[in-house]
Amino acid sequence: MERDSRNHGMNLRFSFTPYPVVGMSRSVLQRYIEGQDPISGKPFVPELIEALTKPLADRERNAEQVARPARPRLLEPDAEYNLQCLFLENGWTDGLPIVLPTHERVAEMLLGTSHAPDEVVGRMTVTTTQERIEYTVEKVAVNAVMAGARPEHFPVILAIAATQEPAFPSSTTSFARMVVVNGPIRDEIGMNSGVGALSPFNFANSVIGRAWTLMSINLADSRLGETFMGSQGHNLNYNNMCCAENEAKSVWEPFHVQKGFKPEESVVSLFRGWSVINSMGAANSVRPASEETVILLKAFSALRSAATLVMDPLVAKGLKDQGFTTKKDFSRWLSENVKVPAGQYWGADIIYAFVAPLARQGIEPFASWSKLPKDTLIAPYHDPGQINILVVGGETNPLWLTTDFVYTQSSSVDKWWPKGGIRCDARSIRMPTAVACSDGTCGIG
Amino acid sequence: MAQTTQSTLRSSLQTVLNPQGQPTGAFEPLSMAPRFDSLDGKTVYLVDVGFAGGYEFLEELRAWFSRNMPAVETILRRKQGNMFLDDPDLWAEVKEKGHAVIFGVGG
Repeated sequence: MERDSRNHGMNLRFSFTPYPVVGMSRSVLQRYIEGQDPISGKPFVPELIEALTKPLADRERNAEQVARPARPRLLEPDAEYNLQCLFLENGWTDGLPIVLPTHERVAEMLLGTSHAPDEVVGRMTVTTTQERIEYTVEKVAVNAVMAGARPEHFPVILAIAATQEPAFPSSTTSFARMVVVNGPIRDEIGMNSGVGALSPFNFANSVIGRAWTLMSINLADSRLGETFMGSQGHNLNYNNMCCAENEAKSVWEPFHVQKGFKPEESVVSLFRGWSVINSMGAANSVRPASEETVILLKAFSALRSAATLVMDPLVAKGLKDQGFTTKKDFSRWLSENVKVPAGQYWGADIIYAFVAPLARQGIEPFASWSKLPKDTLIAPYHDPGQINILVVGGETNPLWLTTDFVYTQSSSVDKWWPKGGIRCDARSIRMPTAVACSDGTCGIG
Repeated sequence: MAQTTQSTLRSSLQTVLNPQGQPTGAFEPLSMAPRFDSLDGKTVYLVDVGFAGGYEFLEELRAWFSRNMPAVETILRRKQGNMFLDDPDLWAEVKEKGHAVIFGVGG
């Protein structure tokens, strides 16, 4: 915390009690106050009073700018093995081996855009109040090479970088992210939106998702125990649920069109949350998918009224047959039909932290909800515009994922498109496509 | 063959690019306010920044001051908005009416 305060340009004096304090009884809190600081070993209150009365040291009286030196463009030449070790030991990777970003590889990656290598793409940080780290097209290319990407993937990776959003914002709560690609580039670079789109089979899905992770580490300075404090971490941080929407099989309009883009535009859209629940059974086998989704959504806090459903095309077709003509229709229906007791809503820690202040400020509907008896039902997903629907999957089973993800923003891929068109390899590296027997040799049909 | 490959991996020099972005050094340093010889007769703000449990903890801290250091006046306040938002009105109030502030983090 002292390092954190210095990074903000401030010296502060700290005293600690045992952790956590949340959920502790009043008698326990009193013991904490009358006990000792577990870090310094000193009695807590005397330390607190000393912090307000002890004369200032020189560095506290005359704070100095903490400026970190510019980082060199090149690393010291070394053998491949040693460089791999250096990247791992410095925390510049996701713990997996990387493709070393040599001059030749980075130069080749830069063929994937017409933008100049020294063009500033943005500034990123994993903590919103800390120093932002600036990065250029070349820096993004370095991380794309490390992730194993090819130039054809680079416009998508640049579009993600241009959002200036890290894949894992620093929080003790351990965020997860999702990046979804829409538009023609999905097919041009062989992204998977069908069978197993969220599993590790597809080259483009894998390297693009990994590139976002590596950019967050290196371009947002995510450092374990310093700027990344997720108590458990999140396995989705490895790939960020990177996939494409299955526009060909969807009965509804693509997500990027919902957000105001043209169908022929290529776009990345980002989502942030914590939790993913598989529907764990086929839609409509016993209960309609709509009713099942209502049940699943009650498990979440409904922070910002946000939820994101990732559904197989078969689920979307079934819902359309039920009368949900558009994605918006289903979002609106969910908004009206998911109801939880007010006590359940206000009892969520994240609601206490982010929504209770709004209620105290008199902002509706929260102010009214805060006055209700605990067992009164409220519709916590009050804003249907925050309930997002994506169609992903290969129609092998009408299943869907229910998440508490909030949509954060979309970013144009076309802006980063190279003037000569997407540069694919002569031997284009694609995914192993799902097996589809057409000559009867499989013995079925 | 395996030995040769291993040897190459460990001996042939390569130059690679630094993957890290550039620090921007955007923060102006702030010096700390002067300290007091004693808190007697002073007004100390106890400010809850918004993490769960922080307010309850500061309520107990305020009770401790009342029991043990009654010469210190304490004012307990919640910062407006969530923990990531600024509250300039409260900072102005603290500067006008208070002598010191203790922030409670909680969590």
